[in-house]
Amino acid sequence: MAQPEEIAATGPADAGTQAPLVEAPADTVAGEVVLRLTDLVKTFPGVRALDGVQLEVRAGEVHCLLGQNGAGKSTLIKVLAGVHQPDSGQVEWRGEPITFANPQAAMRAGIATIYQELDLVDDLSVGENAFLGHEPRRMGFVRRGHMARRTRQILGRLGHGEIPPGRMVRALPAAGKQIVSMARALSHEARLIIMDEPSAVLAHDEVGNLFRIIRELTAQGIAVIYISHRLEEIREIGDRVTVLKDGRTTAANLPARDTPTRDLVSRMTGRSIEYVFPERPAAGPAGAELLQVDGLTRSGEFADVSLDVRAGEIVGIAGLVGSGRSELLETIYGARPAEAGTVRMAGKALRAGSVGAAVRAGMGMAPEERKSQALLLGEPIYRNVTLATFGRYARFGFTNAGAEEAEADRIAESLELRPRDVRRPVRTLSGGNQQKVVVGRWLLGDTKLLLLDEPTRGVDIGARAELYQVIRGLAARGVGVLLVSSEVPEVLGLADRVLVMREGRVIREAPAGELDENTVLDLVMAGSLMEGAPA
Amino acid sequence: MSDATPTPTATPERPQLPAQSPPVDPAETAVAGDKAASTGKLSWWRGDGGEGAKRNLGLIGVLAALIAVGAITKPDLYGDPTWVWNNVLAILQLASVVGVVTVGMTFVIIGGGIDLSVGAIVALAGVWCTTVATQSYGAGGMIFAAIAVGICVGLVNGVLISYGRLVPFIATLAMLVAARGLAAQISNKQTQVSTSTVINDIAARKVLGIPILVYILGAVVLAGWVLLNRTTFGRRTIAVGGNPEAARLAGINVRRHTMLLYALSGLCCGIAAIMLTSQATSAQAAMANLYELDAIAAAIIGGTLLSGGRGTIVGSLLGVIIFATITNLFAINGLSIEAQNMVKGGIIVAAVLVQQFQFKSFTRLLARNRLTTTP
Amino acid sequence: MTQHSRDVSRRRLLFGGAAVGAATLLTACTSNETPAASTQTKAAGDGAGNNAPGKKVVIGFSAPAADHGWMGAIHANAKAQAAAYSDVEFKEVDGGSNSEAQRSTLGTLIAQKPDIIVVLPHDGKEVNAVALQAMQAGIPIVNLDRAFPDALASRLVIKGDNYGMGVSAGHFIGKQLKDKGVSNPVIGEIAGLEIPLTVERSAGFAAALATYGFKVSNRRSAEFTSDSGQREAAQLLQALPKIDAIWNHDDDQGIGVLAAINQAGRKEFFMVGGAGAKVAIDAIKADNTVLKATVTYNPSMASSAISLARLIAQGRGLGDLTELQVPKEVTLASETITKENASSYEKLGF
Repeated sequence: MAQPEEIAATGPADAGTQAPLVEAPADTVAGEVVLRLTDLVKTFPGVRALDGVQLEVRAGEVHCLLGQNGAGKSTLIKVLAGVHQPDSGQVEWRGEPITFANPQAAMRAGIATIYQELDLVDDLSVGENAFLGHEPRRMGFVRRGHMARRTRQILGRLGHGEIPPGRMVRALPAAGKQIVSMARALSHEARLIIMDEPSAVLAHDEVGNLFRIIRELTAQGIAVIYISHRLEEIREIGDRVTVLKDGRTTAANLPARDTPTRDLVSRMTGRSIEYVFPERPAAGPAGAELLQVDGLTRSGEFADVSLDVRAGEIVGIAGLVGSGRSELLETIYGARPAEAGTVRMAGKALRAGSVGAAVRAGMGMAPEERKSQALLLGEPIYRNVTLATFGRYARFGFTNAGAEEAEADRIAESLELRPRDVRRPVRTLSGGNQQKVVVGRWLLGDTKLLLLDEPTRGVDIGARAELYQVIRGLAARGVGVLLVSSEVPEVLGLADRVLVMREGRVIREAPAGELDENTVLDLVMAGSLMEGAPA
Repeated sequence: MSDATPTPTATPERPQLPAQSPPVDPAETAVAGDKAASTGKLSWWRGDGGEGAKRNLGLIGVLAALIAVGAITKPDLYGDPTWVWNNVLAILQLASVVGVVTVGMTFVIIGGGIDLSVGAIVALAGVWCTTVATQSYGAGGMIFAAIAVGICVGLVNGVLISYGRLVPFIATLAMLVAARGLAAQISNKQTQVSTSTVINDIAARKVLGIPILVYILGAVVLAGWVLLNRTTFGRRTIAVGGNPEAARLAGINVRRHTMLLYALSGLCCGIAAIMLTSQATSAQAAMANLYELDAIAAAIIGGTLLSGGRGTIVGSLLGVIIFATITNLFAINGLSIEAQNMVKGGIIVAAVLVQQFQFKSFTRLLARNRLTTTP
Repeated sequence: MTQHSRDVSRRRLLFGGAAVGAATLLTACTSNETPAASTQTKAAGDGAGNNAPGKKVVIGFSAPAADHGWMGAIHANAKAQAAAYSDVEFKEVDGGSNSEAQRSTLGTLIAQKPDIIVVLPHDGKEVNAVALQAMQAGIPIVNLDRAFPDALASRLVIKGDNYGMGVSAGHFIGKQLKDKGVSNPVIGEIAGLEIPLTVERSAGFAAALATYGFKVSNRRSAEFTSDSGQREAAQLLQALPKIDAIWNHDDDQGIGVLAAINQAGRKEFFMVGGAGAKVAIDAIKADNTVLKATVTYNPSMASSAISLARLIAQGRGLGDLTELQVPKEVTLASETITKENASSYEKLGF
């Protein structure tokens, strides 16, 4: 029963590097298997969103899905909800292979999904929302009385009989809306309810109520797939955990309560990858003071952050998603206005909230989301490389495409861009090469400080090593680098100095040599992830 | 989006791409690099881009087909070369005013916006420049007034949209209503006749056998083409429309540029107002009725992406000329305006369908290649 | 201050002061004072009888917002005619830009209980109910131009004759061509917006031409604006390399039609206009364009409507008629203005 299974490595990357798993107590889960996914694959143009997912869910259990942003959780949910159809692999529902042609089919089969952005119609009543799309009717007329009665019944089952079925959903608080979403799931006689970060919209005390409802549902034999970034919740409500990374299951059916945090995190972040970092220069960097950030604050994102970067120095920021690291980077760059604090470049204060001022002062940024924040996908590579500098090649406002192409080609050569034809649209490049284009943009002109937000996300291993070389090479030329990454080894391996961020604050600053991965992991997760974990 | 699969050079060849093959081999790469460097001088005259050029070729095909239909249905008229030449000029004159407006509209749409107020701006500028007081300053004063009104109204649109953060659709819709209202107020709802012979001669005179209006259209189109393809302004327009966030993070002042785009559209409307006033030798508040729809439709069939980031001036010009040719074709055949409008609507739908089809087949091709090339 | 001296001073302001920017000029340029707008009124007091002051009456007036010269003249005429009577108080309400708006302002007017209301509806069918309501409340309605379908909805209908306009134009063109001995003439028609009145005009035109054995060779519809007139005329001229006559439905759009003819350098034909605008009458009188005649659809009907409304409200009949009350229906004849009679129509041009 419920043996934790080691998933065979499906790619060359993660061969044989999994840590041994803790055995789950045999009585954790008792129900029959309602859902089993085998080698599920789903491709979108340019991306393998799911690349061999295994999942087994039993009746009456809370099965948690863990994974970083982009690990494939959302795609997996949509496949289960019938929004997407898998390209290959098998979905077994209550013992029968099945494919859901559309969301209605999945609902009829008994799989209900509660999305993070609750998909309720604000201007319909609670009852109308609960029965949206399958209203009880007779001869084409909705049986309103019947519907209200059934809604009241379901709400009672959820322990919220006080919500009037006739109330407009708009008038309900977030927690109430979530109850309505669950009522909708139950109105379908759901046997499996998928909850995508249900606690994200709730205040702290409302989470307890949510858990009470989940327990009541599972007691009735309903299975729940629970997705959350908050490990303490998983510890509290979950029975078993499946971890996804890059569209693959990296560990399945771990016991939720006792698997060490570090095991979970390593499976999420994938220590599997063999990093090849360029060597640090022997002498420590002693460049001039370049960036000085003092008491930078944006409420709800980060508070009172002070840091500095010297010329030729690589400073890494380690922290989880939601620790405020990307927001900090964007605020330094002027893409978000600071509420308090100052940003100085070479001693000169920059106007808050002005990207133009930052760029003129010599800053450049490679943002987190390459495609949506950095690239003009349909435009040629050279125009993407010169996006921040084309004005420099222009004379009297007329662009000089020849010079731009030549310069872009030079950059392409030094970054070993493949293919190197700079007139191709940038969308035809692979992820790693697209990232090179974004970084290469700031090699033109006189960039003094480069802000890199997750520079290796979605970049394959070979290209990663090249990118590391490029970044180190930049520092050797005297460029300051401020690097943000979710992957702790990357920060430790690449940076000269490391800042650890948690919940919007810098909690530790040290030279990279003085920190090891475990220490950093402990730091970034302390308080949230470590709670109740026998680490 | 994460791209987990290691696909170093597996990007498949697609028909839409320029003919150069992906230089997998280093020797070839060097060749491509040399080529890029050596074509530096020639590149000034390079076209709008491969994909656009292909689409424009399609539009020229449609144009040829329309002319063929004309020749078949009215062989007596098309048998006379003088008449044919005059007819070409008549079509170009018909296209001239909307054509100038469309150049501005193309910029706004490529920049990710829309300008519904162009017809109203033309009317307001036309009415303003034909008031008794303005006419007393002569043709120079009239031209100045029309262009200044156009730019000012465009700037108001731009400020509302970029700094007031109004949705372009709403801001320019409001301007449409307000500008026509102001035009009606100023003109006292009367048709204002232009008494300036200089203004009236713009539409009546020819130079070297070609009407002045056609020269103006040509000049505006050429200026628009250079501005879009050869200047930093055009590059910013494509960046702002294609990916505003990327443009912002690259240090481009997206708001100021957006504002300037609407001012440019206003300038085009001012020029168009002078041309239209000259053609009609008068102006009134109801003039240039529904020009916004004509201009948007022309830009769309010319291949300008309504979501921004892509479009060509040549395509837009061809779009305008195609519509003018349809009007002309129906006129010479004595067919009703109703039928003419139905055909216009059909052509818009057909053009968009063709664009969608290309996009879909492209993504399908991509997906298929991905599946087969990954291990 | 005369118009001239005002303009001169303005010019001095502009060229004298270096700091005067575009804004000043532009603001100055909205000034639009033309020599006193001509209106068509019947002078009060010329002759005794009907014009002798009677009891004081309040006349309400509602017509669509003027978007066009003809409608502008309707408003101006009604106002001027009312001002000419010492015993009339004139109460105009905004007719708005659609039937909906007109119904609501008309309702407000009825509530004020004027003695009589003159209404030119956006659409007779859509405003019928409100008019009926006024009639039932004892306020007589004078229905101007666009008729209500319900006979009970008005005390008096005074309207132009669209079909008759086409007939007049057709007869003028037919007779001219017949006299010249043209056997198989090429006749062009520039119609207005394709609304019912335009269809009526075209039907009258075709019917009158048929009596001469002629027919329309090519017909384009413009939008009652000068730029659309130019556009459609330019295409019509292109379609017909040789033309004998053109009828253009509307003199406002005719400004553009004449511009197109001038731009194309064509003069082998003659043209007949429609409505009777002042610019057209002046051009006919001057006889230096292809415009040789225009058939009237005269906004002077608004002046007459006010005069008749006053008599109805005062309970008086028309002086020259035997009846003690004003008749129930007046349809204006569509007259043909040519060079010969242009002088006598000048004061009716709008």
